[in-house]
Amino acid sequence: MRQNNMVAMILAGGRGTRLLDLTKKVAKPAVYFGGKYRIIDFPLSNCANSDISIVGVLTQYESVLLNSYVAKEQYWGLDAKDSGVYVLPPKETDEAGFEKFRGTADAITQNIDFLDQVNAEYVLVLSGDHIYKMDYADMLNYHIKKEADATIAVLGVPIKEASRFGIMNTDENDIIVEFEEKPAKPKSNLASMGIYIFNYKTLRKYLKADEVDPNSDHDFGKNIIPTYINDGKKLAAYRFKGYWKDVGTIDSLWEGNMDILDPKSGLDLSDPGWKIYTGDVTDLPQYVGDDAHITNSYINQGSVVNGTVDHSVVFSGTVIEKGAKVIDSVIMPGAVVCENAVLNRCIVADGIYVGPGVKIGDAKSDKIELVAKNVVE
Amino acid sequence: MLNALGIINIEDSTVDITGLQSYRPVSAISILGRYRVIDFMLSNFSNSGIKDIQVYCREKPRSLIEHLGSGLQYNISSKKGSLRMMFGETSGISDVYNHDIANFMSNMQYIEENDKSYVVIAPSYMMYRANFSDILDSHIESGNDVTVLYKVADNAKEDFIGCDCLTLEKDKRVSSIDKNRGKYKKRNISLEAYVLSRTLFIELVKLASETSSLYWFKDILADVLDKYKVVGYPIRTHVSCINTLSAYFKTNMKYCSLEGVSELRVDTWPIHTMTSDSAPVTYGTNSSVKNSLIANGCNIDGTLENCVVGRNVTVKKGAVLKNCVILPNAYIAEDVKLDHVVVDKSAIINHVKKLEGSVQAPIYVKRRDRI
Repeated sequence: MRQNNMVAMILAGGRGTRLLDLTKKVAKPAVYFGGKYRIIDFPLSNCANSDISIVGVLTQYESVLLNSYVAKEQYWGLDAKDSGVYVLPPKETDEAGFEKFRGTADAITQNIDFLDQVNAEYVLVLSGDHIYKMDYADMLNYHIKKEADATIAVLGVPIKEASRFGIMNTDENDIIVEFEEKPAKPKSNLASMGIYIFNYKTLRKYLKADEVDPNSDHDFGKNIIPTYINDGKKLAAYRFKGYWKDVGTIDSLWEGNMDILDPKSGLDLSDPGWKIYTGDVTDLPQYVGDDAHITNSYINQGSVVNGTVDHSVVFSGTVIEKGAKVIDSVIMPGAVVCENAVLNRCIVADGIYVGPGVKIGDAKSDKIELVAKNVVE
Repeated sequence: MLNALGIINIEDSTVDITGLQSYRPVSAISILGRYRVIDFMLSNFSNSGIKDIQVYCREKPRSLIEHLGSGLQYNISSKKGSLRMMFGETSGISDVYNHDIANFMSNMQYIEENDKSYVVIAPSYMMYRANFSDILDSHIESGNDVTVLYKVADNAKEDFIGCDCLTLEKDKRVSSIDKNRGKYKKRNISLEAYVLSRTLFIELVKLASETSSLYWFKDILADVLDKYKVVGYPIRTHVSCINTLSAYFKTNMKYCSLEGVSELRVDTWPIHTMTSDSAPVTYGTNSSVKNSLIANGCNIDGTLENCVVGRNVTVKKGAVLKNCVILPNAYIAEDVKLDHVVVDKSAIINHVKKLEGSVQAPIYVKRRDRI
């Protein structure tokens, strides 16, 4: 029997320009994170762990790799008879010809047929580029209990940073009375996490209206949510407590990886009660050589480490040679760090070769170096 | 897909991995951190194009059933391939009757109904790399009745004790089969892996069953050397025979080196296994690790030297492990010192602060033991 008829729709079309060369050939949700994972493994694993059986993934930018990756529904255990991951890129249609997604809301609008077909009662809209662990079933229970038309997950942020986010102003019952996008003078510190539950019937009407509105940006934050509020629809704020991070820039991607190494950060990927699933690599366990010195690090299978690794995250298929020093860095799959190379505060992209004796990054600087091209000397 | 039915055979009582074997068949023993013994032969089969496979099991099938699953992880298609676990129904009164022939006989229908022309049989406890596609081609081309894989071993005094060894004529025809009792240094060790036509296989199994109720397949083969052309095929890669606790220990240690890892890591010949979706390894601020092979999910804050560590193992601060094989989910508490110890799954070593074994006689800590 179906646990619930909430269908998840993951918005995974963004390019993530601020990730520079990391997203030159792949979409942001496919970017590597945490020694073993891709960013999109987080919402997908959350869905699987929350007993959601149908997940649509809306892709657009550089989507070949992402499409084939998320289609492997068995990675996340979304492979039972009644479940599935549906890859939903823009498509050519009879009415509109070929149109790309014009905004987050339009991406859902263009897939109304899909939502009708799977008989959705609730739609959970997620973003494909955030790192967090959340039980969406709990959020749905809250949504039902509040008898809301929509529920938005919110996170308390430090008030001085609140002007960077979409801020929800609520009444004493956590019902949203006002939404302000990046307010100069924030009235509350409840930031939208870009996670929404909608009653599908109502949402469908609003999307249909939004589709033909020439002044709309077809965006949830800018258009759909404000219209809901103006129309007096009941929007509940669901307070999330736990780790959440948008890893949309090189700095924040690096910080997110470093958070894994900090037991106080709240990001625990090793918790067997809420596993993050991913495509398994056919490779040996990691081999640590005679000259290795590893402390305070997170290292995946299939790597060969014979140098010094301190406070770093190392992916599979990597080689850290003798005498090399990797400090406060992230080494993505298949990268090779040769003898006596020294890396400080770097993100080394997948497959990159760092030659013998090369020195990149500065321990004293605030800057995070992205190494996305082979460095021979 | 190769035109051959792959059979993973069971092993006889010469294989005795004290302790580990009490809980699971040899094929399901955890090895090299993330694998089980059977993964190596199944990967050989799958990489060679053998996708129709029967896995035989003498007893305690639970852990093997769990590990094999549907076979997708071995690159076997859910529609065009088949990985079946065959359990003998006739284990019955005494262990001596629970041999491969009894197991084949009780599953004979599934061997007879199979549509492949050839059979490739191999036990899981012999670990090596072999391309059965090449071996089958050579078998067919030669017109021989049976091809037997063997390894020219120059350490037969210490290793391969109890294994069959072959006396070969110039053309590699097998003239006799004896037991290796450790008398000679150099022997042609039979890997108990055979290639033959399915019809001859069925015939020999039935003949064995009629001849003696104690016969194994290798016994009937020794009987028919005059009648059929049985020819040796040398395997040149390294062969590990995991037939004792010491051999199991040494095999783990052999591959726990840069050379060992490079030998196993061949892009065109992956070793497939089940994933347990464990997170990467967490190294603490106090960790010090040298020459070790470590599977995912571990939490290491102590000292490791020459160790093979399975999934989700915890090694606390101040613990010092040298020359150890630690199976999945074990917990080693603070300041515990271990040398030449094999720690079975989910054991907790807490109050015993020091254990010391040797290569020939590693200490074995039982599954789920709390010491």
